[in-house]
Amino acid sequence: MKTARWNYAVPVHRPLLSAPFLFFSALAVVALALSAKRLFGGLAFTGMNDDFAIGVWKTFNVMTLTALGSSALAVGMTTWIFNQRQLHVVMRTALSSSILFYGTGMFALGFDVGRPWNFYHVILPWHWNPHSALLEVSVCMTAYVAIFLLYENLPAVLPERWFLRIKPIYPYMVAAAFLLPAMHQSSLGSLMVLAGTKVHPLWQTQMLPAFYLIQAVVCGFASLILILMIACLVWRRPLDLTILATLARFMAWSSIVFVVLRYADTILRGRIGLAFQPTWYAFLFNAENLFVLVPALVLLREPLRRSPRVLFVASAATALGGLVYRFSPTTLAFRYGRASIYFPSIGELLMCVGYIGLAVALFIVAARRFAILPDRLPD
Amino acid sequence: MNVTRRDLFRTVGSASAAAVATGVTASLPLAAAERTAPDDALGLLYDATVCIGCKACVAACTAANHLEPDTALSGGIWQMPTDLNAQTKNIIQLYRSPDGAEASFMKRQCMQCVDPACASGCPFSALHKGKFGIVEWDGSRCIGCRFCEISCPFDVPRFEWAKFNPRIVKCELCRDRLGDGLQPACTEVCPVSAVIFGKREELLREAHRRIDANPGKYYQNRVYGEQDLGGTQVIYLSHVPFAKLGLPEVGTESRAHYGEKVHSAVYKGMAVPAIVYAGLAFIMRRRFNVHEEEARHAAHHDRPDQL
Repeated sequence: MKTARWNYAVPVHRPLLSAPFLFFSALAVVALALSAKRLFGGLAFTGMNDDFAIGVWKTFNVMTLTALGSSALAVGMTTWIFNQRQLHVVMRTALSSSILFYGTGMFALGFDVGRPWNFYHVILPWHWNPHSALLEVSVCMTAYVAIFLLYENLPAVLPERWFLRIKPIYPYMVAAAFLLPAMHQSSLGSLMVLAGTKVHPLWQTQMLPAFYLIQAVVCGFASLILILMIACLVWRRPLDLTILATLARFMAWSSIVFVVLRYADTILRGRIGLAFQPTWYAFLFNAENLFVLVPALVLLREPLRRSPRVLFVASAATALGGLVYRFSPTTLAFRYGRASIYFPSIGELLMCVGYIGLAVALFIVAARRFAILPDRLPD
Repeated sequence: MNVTRRDLFRTVGSASAAAVATGVTASLPLAAAERTAPDDALGLLYDATVCIGCKACVAACTAANHLEPDTALSGGIWQMPTDLNAQTKNIIQLYRSPDGAEASFMKRQCMQCVDPACASGCPFSALHKGKFGIVEWDGSRCIGCRFCEISCPFDVPRFEWAKFNPRIVKCELCRDRLGDGLQPACTEVCPVSAVIFGKREELLREAHRRIDANPGKYYQNRVYGEQDLGGTQVIYLSHVPFAKLGLPEVGTESRAHYGEKVHSAVYKGMAVPAIVYAGLAFIMRRRFNVHEEEARHAAHHDRPDQL
């Protein structure tokens, strides 16, 4: 494994037809075929029912995976607003992975909703229900992906002279590209506040929107570290441990904020006792927190942050803890104590996994075609 | 120059933080106002001590709403729904305690909440409080997201899972019949008046009259739905605990009120997002100008600046 200071984004010069690319494309093709079939029928083939009316496409592809797609928010704000200019070199990786996570998630959503043809109301503000967190998510996420995140990705894909024409609005577009995901990532948490007592009391709190947002930041850092490390190892690029360690430090501190606030909130609500009973929910609650907290404490130490192995394992554990946290209120801790459970059907799962495969396959294409992944160019 | 700017930024930063804090604090009491029932609110009163479980209301409801009777359990012979479903807006269920000593029928349909969670979460107000406080469903606004099923504390809305253009199915108090001067199908056919139809205020008076006339007969001498979950327009009297009949005992705050508290405060008049945006745009413009300046003096002119 080589290490070097990254200084420029360069396309990956390798043949497109590789085993991983074919594998992820195959997953995507299966998902797209099933989606086309779904268009001509209802949702009866899924594992969803009237007790568990939302399934993995919403709860995992959108509400969970867009946390991994929040590197554009987390790393973007760190780079620009907190002025960590050394991180500019990894921004293109953050932006392209984010738009793919978001894009495929919203694609999944199109097949999840029963009457997608009525979604045009999203452009008619006088039809909006301002009290609805879901309205906020619908409007904000659509605008973010279709306008602001897309714009942020243009420098990597457009010829420079074309982008120069729309460059003057850059700071104003990027400011919106920070505000909007902060809004809808927190609103994803607000959704489950409205589910009230259906969500287990260890998760049900008015702080859900704040926790969903902080966890988006944590997962945003984690996913960028993982994507950069995996891509550089697979395509034999040098690793820049200074940059990765900087990302890890920010990830560690946001993880600590998350865990401290979460325990504090549970204590203040008088529910902490539930976390220390021999139940599956207590186990899940503490596991989510420890999977985020332990890696953070490890990564606070500078030498450990600079070990690629530690960095990778710690980031993977953090991402896992974060993803499970984001998945719990809608699924694992939803309708607790009921006899009936929700488990996705095979077709539903194949579509869920296939949309992820689509994102990975498109990322592989993008990394080859465009200057997205950072590398070391001679000075 | 630089220092002055930094000072300016600090001032603006703390000012906007203060403004955000003030905005949030100021809007909290406003968001806390609870919704009340309209004066002309209509509803049902179901008295579980009167119901004989004949299910005439179930059949009448299906017919009046042009639904296909759910005959799955009887092999296609009789209407025998086991729960509310896409073919059943109204159902009579039986509660019996394990020792068999206590039993009661229970009629379930939409509660026509005073402050409905389904309408609160519905993005384009497909579900909304309509005339007489009835929670109406408008198919032209519904995107089929099923968030109403997630938020409803009574598990009422049902979805047509197998349909190409699925509807949300739930009782709308026979609002089309009301327009024709009729009453809901279930109250019309009830042979013992276990369920009666009328103005919510009058139904509440009638319920309290029954409680006063029969002290000790009714559970806690209480009308379910008068206060529960912000109040409902369908109200209940029972001799067994309401929780046994599947009515959640979770206090008087409406689910919508609980769910909107933080959200409405943050998005009131879009003031908080606007202030945050102004702050972000201000900082971004400064950073971007510095970035552009540095790019102009970069060592490698053959390598374009990468944003």
